[in-house]
Amino acid sequence: MNTVVAGITYRALLGRRRILLLLLLPLALIGLAVLLRLTGGADQRSAILLMQNFAIATMLPLLGLIAGTGVIAPEIDDGTIIHLMSKPISRPVIAQTKFLVAASMLAVFAAVPTYFAAWLLVRNEDGIAFGFALGSLLGGIAYAALFLLLGVLTRHAVTIGVIYALIWEGMVGSFVKGAQNFSIQQWAQAIADQISTSAFIDQTAVTIGWAIPAIVIVTVGAVVWAGLRLRAFSLTGDE
Amino acid sequence: MSSEIYDIGYRHYDGPRLGPGYATRALTLHSLRGIFGLGRTARSKIMPFLLAIIMLLPAVVSIAMMALLQQRGMAYSAFAVIMQPVIAIFLAAQAPTVVAPDLRYRVLPLYLSRPVAVVQYVSAKVIAMTAALFMLVALPLTLIYVGELLIDLPGPPQTKEYLGALTVALLLSVLLTAFGLALASLTPRRGLGVASVIAVYLLSLAAVPVIYGTLLSLNEDAAARWAWLLNPFWLLDAVQVWLFGSTPNSEGGYPPGPAPALITLALIAFAIGVLALRYRKAAAQ
Repeated sequence: MNTVVAGITYRALLGRRRILLLLLLPLALIGLAVLLRLTGGADQRSAILLMQNFAIATMLPLLGLIAGTGVIAPEIDDGTIIHLMSKPISRPVIAQTKFLVAASMLAVFAAVPTYFAAWLLVRNEDGIAFGFALGSLLGGIAYAALFLLLGVLTRHAVTIGVIYALIWEGMVGSFVKGAQNFSIQQWAQAIADQISTSAFIDQTAVTIGWAIPAIVIVTVGAVVWAGLRLRAFSLTGDE
Repeated sequence: MSSEIYDIGYRHYDGPRLGPGYATRALTLHSLRGIFGLGRTARSKIMPFLLAIIMLLPAVVSIAMMALLQQRGMAYSAFAVIMQPVIAIFLAAQAPTVVAPDLRYRVLPLYLSRPVAVVQYVSAKVIAMTAALFMLVALPLTLIYVGELLIDLPGPPQTKEYLGALTVALLLSVLLTAFGLALASLTPRRGLGVASVIAVYLLSLAAVPVIYGTLLSLNEDAAARWAWLLNPFWLLDAVQVWLFGSTPNSEGGYPPGPAPALITLALIAFAIGVLALRYRKAAAQ
């Protein structure tokens, strides 16, 4: 953890238009929750529908993508990463710092709004709000690490991330049940399922005994790999 | 014609001047090739061609079903709705490549110092992206139709359905292009452009079941049907139902009448307006 690098990264993330995208999604989630509350549809069933469809399946991967790639990909794109890498800071530390920044962004922009939206609908009934918030937090950490790695590996990080989130987790996961074992969304759902006692959550395909180790392995593995990759990083020509 | 700014003493060009029309056509073709990565590195061809191949898979499955089982696979009218994530990813991945580099490297004044005007520049980009999206959807549809004609299934060929689906695919391409380019042109960064286009699409996708389910549970069935129109693919499906009487691809159908078509036209006009404002500003820089 290097505080200067973290400060620069925060400034780059929050000071530009990226912040609008980071705000748009949580605001839409809370807006939908308020809409449900006002139309009198605030029950456990609709709360879980909103959490599963919107908070975990849509907002979390997108925010993960924006924050995870946003901490490093623009610098690589611009070539300004060279200024950072020519300083006597260990490259793995740079990767770890950037990961912590992305993870903290996801905690603020994904987990907190998720808790708040669920709280608006059902207060603290059956641990729904807490369960989904924790699922969102841990899933967000895994997404941040994975997409940070993608940002280091390729210039098409955002597109590949979208394909992973939409095609693999969305389309393939709904047809082939085995694919859900390798879906961060499903791990987050499994955590929510484990904590909440609500009867409206369907049994998830993934067990908690698989989800927690998977999140740890993906997060640690991705951050370490990103650090290794940065150590031997070369700025190649743009296409 | 002395429309050039500098005369630094080189020999003058006396040949025929091809004019703004030719320049616009050339720019359109150049942008269209760029969308599919033609004339660029191999790496930038991977994504568009991968997505185009994924779009062709259902057509292959459909033809195989018609040939082996003598039954129809995917309906023409359902194709765009079912394949919507792939189309949306194509739009998100490629729309920024059409507009972002020119804005980022500030080469717009170079284009505009030539006979191409802002309107022609923007329409070249819009036409190129529309054509690319239309090809993406129309090619598999045509493949299925040709397969249907060759296999000669019992009953008449579904020519009307095929042509209806093509018409709607064209409208869909215009709508998606207008929104995709407007969003992508707001940021000169490609990654952010991809993320913002896909974010808006996913918002429209994820909001539908939540709003529809809630309104349905309140027994507001008529109001619930309007929820489908939040997503461009279902909106155009509603237009298709109204224009060609196809089967709705949504739970519970759509609101009747020309409302979806009017919404589509209003959305296209809005997005083109945003694009025009953006480029008026960019050209002035």
